[in-house]
Amino acid sequence: MRVSIFTWTKASVKGWLFVLILSVAASAQRPTAPAPKSSVSRSAAPVVVKLVDEVAFKKLIVPNGKPLLINFWATWCDPCREEFPDLVKLDNEYKGKIDFITVSLDDPEDIAVAVPKFLALMKAEMPAYLLKTADESAVISSVSKDWQGGMPFTVLFNEKGETKYFRQGKVVLETLRVELTKLTPPAIP
Amino acid sequence: MRQKSAVLFTVFAMLAFVLIPTTSEAGDFAVGTTLENFSLPDTAGKTHSFNDLKGKNGAVIVFLSAQCPVVKAYNERVSQIAADYAAKGITFIGINSNSTESLDWVKSHAAENYKFPMLIDKGNVFADKLGATVTPEVYYFDAKNVLKYHGAIDNDRSGKAITDNYLRTAFDASLSGKPIAKTKANAFGCSIKRIAE
Repeated sequence: MRVSIFTWTKASVKGWLFVLILSVAASAQRPTAPAPKSSVSRSAAPVVVKLVDEVAFKKLIVPNGKPLLINFWATWCDPCREEFPDLVKLDNEYKGKIDFITVSLDDPEDIAVAVPKFLALMKAEMPAYLLKTADESAVISSVSKDWQGGMPFTVLFNEKGETKYFRQGKVVLETLRVELTKLTPPAIP
Repeated sequence: MRQKSAVLFTVFAMLAFVLIPTTSEAGDFAVGTTLENFSLPDTAGKTHSFNDLKGKNGAVIVFLSAQCPVVKAYNERVSQIAADYAAKGITFIGINSNSTESLDWVKSHAAENYKFPMLIDKGNVFADKLGATVTPEVYYFDAKNVLKYHGAIDNDRSGKAITDNYLRTAFDASLSGKPIAKTKANAFGCSIKRIAE
């Protein structure tokens, strides 16, 4: 009797093991359902923040056939965080008409968690970069003669690279919107 | 008729000159400018004048903040530079112009981090006068109160890869009677939180 119980238990374990292996294999082969195109799914996508050095950064700040809006920010900067919803709003309004990038001046180690976490929270879809530099003063000079080094700093270049708007401190949404509209006239039908 | 048009044109031109906004230079305290003596209260309410606080070879006014992470990263370096040059007759004067930081907060932060006095610039009047915009931002005045250097302390806020010690270099040149090669470098940091912002 003791033998038969042992045999039954062994068979039962084998059976459950078989079912488990089958179910794991089936789930692995199951095609991934396409992500629904809702705003919820977009915000759930992982935010990619690219680390750039000074050489790559110099190329980034050159317009590529469109007006270029750049926002310099950091997670530790209160006004930077406060203005971000407005920036996301503008990105949604002018998407495709301008290039809009954000450049974080956080510590490089923040690229893994703090920076993408905040951008995901803001549902920010602008290309995001984190600048690694050992010379902030030189970077500031290379961006704009009008940047005195405070954060946030936002600058708008036209397609020729001429400065059309800059602001150290929180952007004034309406003022920036006016400048963006000037640079992006509606297409003539 | 032609004379009338000319007069009208002149009036319009004058009006345009007055009314069209130009880039404001107000508060842009240029290197070479002499600072008038001024007085501000410290965190205990005691008033100090610049001339009383400056050393025999001048003084550095450094705009600071109790909460800015960039200032935090510089605290040790600022204290070390202040200690190194106190013996050479250059003193440090901290100024807090942030409207968002309480006196108690500034007081405890200063006591924990600096040996030099911290003056309170209520209403950011003094920051406006110098045109200071960020923390940390330094203004080095010589013994005659002439601005010799303005801007960043060095070129790396992390302190890990400094290649230019702007402020120390300016001190050393000035103390040895040589011209300062770099008199201005953009300070990077937190915006000074002004009133009505």
